[in-house]
Amino acid sequence: MDTAWHVELDRVSVTYPNGTRALKDVSLRIDAGEMVSIVGLSGSGKSTLIRTINGLVRATDGTIAVGPHEVTSLHGRALRELRGHIGMIFQGFNLAERTDVYRNVLVGRFAHSPAWRNLLGIPSAQDRDVALAALESVGMLEKVWARGGALSGGQKQRVAIARALSQEPSIMLADEPVASLDPPTAHAVMSDLRRINQERGLTVMVNIHLMDLARQYTTRMIGLRAGEVVYDGPAKDATDADFEQIYGRPIQVRDQLGAAG
Amino acid sequence: MTAPAVAPRRELPPKPRNILRVALIVTVLVTLTVAACTPAIGGVEIDLASISKHWANGAKKLGQMMQPNFAFLPRTVAPMLETLQMAVVGAAIAAAISVPLTLWAAKPTNANSVTRGVVRTAVNVVRAVPDLVYASVLVAMVGVGVLPGLITLVLFDLGIIVKLVSEAIDSADHGYMEAGRAAGGSQFQINRVTALPQTLPLFANQWLYTLELNVRISAILGFVGAGGIGRILDERRNFYAYGDVSVIILEILVVVVLIEVLSNALRKRLA
Repeated sequence: MDTAWHVELDRVSVTYPNGTRALKDVSLRIDAGEMVSIVGLSGSGKSTLIRTINGLVRATDGTIAVGPHEVTSLHGRALRELRGHIGMIFQGFNLAERTDVYRNVLVGRFAHSPAWRNLLGIPSAQDRDVALAALESVGMLEKVWARGGALSGGQKQRVAIARALSQEPSIMLADEPVASLDPPTAHAVMSDLRRINQERGLTVMVNIHLMDLARQYTTRMIGLRAGEVVYDGPAKDATDADFEQIYGRPIQVRDQLGAAG
Repeated sequence: MTAPAVAPRRELPPKPRNILRVALIVTVLVTLTVAACTPAIGGVEIDLASISKHWANGAKKLGQMMQPNFAFLPRTVAPMLETLQMAVVGAAIAAAISVPLTLWAAKPTNANSVTRGVVRTAVNVVRAVPDLVYASVLVAMVGVGVLPGLITLVLFDLGIIVKLVSEAIDSADHGYMEAGRAAGGSQFQINRVTALPQTLPLFANQWLYTLELNVRISAILGFVGAGGIGRILDERRNFYAYGDVSVIILEILVVVVLIEVLSNALRKRLA
């Protein structure tokens, strides 16, 4: 089993070059092996928060500790190596659509493979095994030679999960992983994430704007509003009033996905 | 059930017009054109009368060209093959070099603004020089023959491919790159494994297009000594052998059209 990592943010702020303050003085500790949802409306800073953890967005202030590493002090090769330990999936799946599923999953081995192997397109036997095992674990092994663009949305997200798993990560980040999926597929993907958390013991952080999915699939919920943490507690105990406070408005129908099927 | 109500006639809101601006643009264009052909103020002299003055001569030449000397055809085969070889080899070399240069010149595939700027500037300079100028200078540098023509074609092709493909890459969406970065990939790994297959159709389209252009250009590079069918075209023209000239022109026409049809068919399958 991969060793899970904790995440600790200490007074983290992010100000974008255009002046937008996406995160304001956020301090959080997420223990190794937790399954956490980050809830908030679009523009609340969810995406920024999750991207500061693997350094895709740089914190302008504060420090972020991930396992044994200090993200804010890493650059170049050391940062890439850290990212190799952090899997990430995205709302738009982010597959290379003209490339087969196999190559897409091998992207997850980037941090573990020398550049000459990528240049020649010859993965090592170990990389191949890890990639195929990851595909098998999400039930997509038979699609290994299909082109990324030829898959359905749910299949794409499962390949993206396999790509992240082939990193053999210590943390799994998910940025609105089900926002582009239909309800049954959304539940399937959330179940996959929960399975990864329970079976592999990985720390999982999921950005999500739907309250019922947060309650059902995660154990802890962090509410973000205008770049500030406004809620932090057990997900299943979160009341409608808590959600109204996070959203800053009354609950609407579109804040829930509804049951599967 | 009631009869469907007749929809009320909608008044179109007045379309915003700017007659003054249009008038100004037209005036400026007309003034510049007239000034450019007025010799009194330094414009070019366009003497349309010379068409009628030399009409008899022109008609005679045209008449000679209307009788193509097909007996000359066998002698054009070798130079025409040389032209085609130059075109193909030039396009192939340019295609190979264009890949790294293009990926260096596009923002998503090269985050370093310094190297990107260097490649872009170099390509713009290369593009600014007309092909016949390259050929003339290169003939002086490396001697008469196929080599200067080949180098000319490669430079010309690179200018086109690198500029057009790097701009297409700049404007496309690149979610897969964020995934590659998040997985700890270096720019090189991301480019090789994902960006290259993703942009290959863009490249292939321009590669075929440059092959098409190469056939057309290499047909005249011989005028300055850079090999191919142009050399023999220039030679027959100097001998006033217009029957031979027209055979060569017809041959170029046929070959160019054939290559164009072929390349269009291939490009259609790429899309």
